[in-house]
Amino acid sequence: MNNRPYIIATGLVLLLAIVFFNLSPDSSARLKRVLASFHIPLFSVQKTVEATGDILVDQTAPRKVLLQEIRELKRQNQILELRLGQTQSLERENRSLRDQLQLRPKPEWNPRLTRIVGRDPANWWRSVLIDLGTKDGVRVDMPVMSSQGLVGRVQEVHDHRSRVALLGDPACRISVTIEATGESGIISASGGTVFDPTLVKLLYLPANTEARAGDQLYTSGLGEIFPRGIPVGKLTAVATAPGALTTQASVKLSVNSSKLNEVWVLMP
Amino acid sequence: MKGFFTLTILLTALALIYAASAWHLPRQLTGAQLDPLPALMLVVALRAPISAITALAIGGSLFQSALSSGPVGASLLPLYALGLIVHLNTHSLSQHHIGPRFALGAIAGGLVPAVTLGLLLLSGHEPLVGWFTLWQWSVGILGSGIFAVLFFPLLDWLDRSVEEQPLAAPYDTTTRIVRGTRFHG
Repeated sequence: MNNRPYIIATGLVLLLAIVFFNLSPDSSARLKRVLASFHIPLFSVQKTVEATGDILVDQTAPRKVLLQEIRELKRQNQILELRLGQTQSLERENRSLRDQLQLRPKPEWNPRLTRIVGRDPANWWRSVLIDLGTKDGVRVDMPVMSSQGLVGRVQEVHDHRSRVALLGDPACRISVTIEATGESGIISASGGTVFDPTLVKLLYLPANTEARAGDQLYTSGLGEIFPRGIPVGKLTAVATAPGALTTQASVKLSVNSSKLNEVWVLMP
Repeated sequence: MKGFFTLTILLTALALIYAASAWHLPRQLTGAQLDPLPALMLVVALRAPISAITALAIGGSLFQSALSSGPVGASLLPLYALGLIVHLNTHSLSQHHIGPRFALGAIAGGLVPAVTLGLLLLSGHEPLVGWFTLWQWSVGILGSGIFAVLFFPLLDWLDRSVEEQPLAAPYDTTTRIVRGTRFHG
């Protein structure tokens, strides 16, 4: 047997493996951007198929159902308009008070709806791909949420797509505040189970914390990546260990990201 | 023609990886992501030369990295090692019945993620690992066995489709022309 091709192939693979494992984060992101271009035709096919499917579903929906939906949406719209009026009034009041106290104005966020087009093909990470990219104004670290609460943050941005690191992924550790006690902690990666990926750990709570199961968690706004006050989840258990400097707690996230199809990117 | 076959395998890998990422149903049902690459590498290693195995290991791991938040080429070494081991032992592996095909696919689906996880941990990354990893690993083993059973006929069909077919001769080449003596006078 001629061994030369085997030696060359093994040498090439070993060399590439060493190069890949020693890439800097910037080079790795650039290489991934180039590699992602191979998937563009498939993304386009998927988008076309989904759009065609949506059109077909719209065409086949019975008129009676559509009219009922319109009535329901009109009713919801009226309620939301009333709430919007109240919120705008509160916002004006808040702005005026901030002016009087000479506080820095709060940044306004412009939410943009986007579709989830893919999920991480490996079991080791929790991330999704969305069909908005740099051309749409998306930047790294922008918050991503659904109507129920925080979903994650933008981790990588390509021209027309971005990767979102979901809560529970090692790349998405965020600072949260417990509503009842005002204490802050960090949401960590571990804690999920197979069929409930919404369970995560809350670390670095004070040792003498008064937090209890059922307390609501919101983004703390520390670090200025996420706006303050986005719902994150609620405590399910608090584990105080005698002698420990900090306390750990279990958290059930507000959003089950495995069931999401659409998310909002908060743009400044 | 072998180059064309390698290209076809790479395109198949690209489509399979994309489908695994875009189609959420298996993940929603089982709680685990299915990886078609170990089974594809197994079948390719039994049929194709070392150049195709190398191309699939490099291309497959890079295509997968493009959709993942993990490091680039994380599964390169495990995939290549699997391909090389299977290729060097092609004649001692039974592959003509569904049972052995499933078993080989299941072994491939168990080895590749385990070695990849080991490499990730050794290289200082922080993959999500817990008791649920055992379940995901078991689902991966089962899924890879099923993938292998499906990929054997698929690769056979691809191989036949891109193989050079002999051109049909315009006349029957088996006919011998024998001259009679009366024409020579």
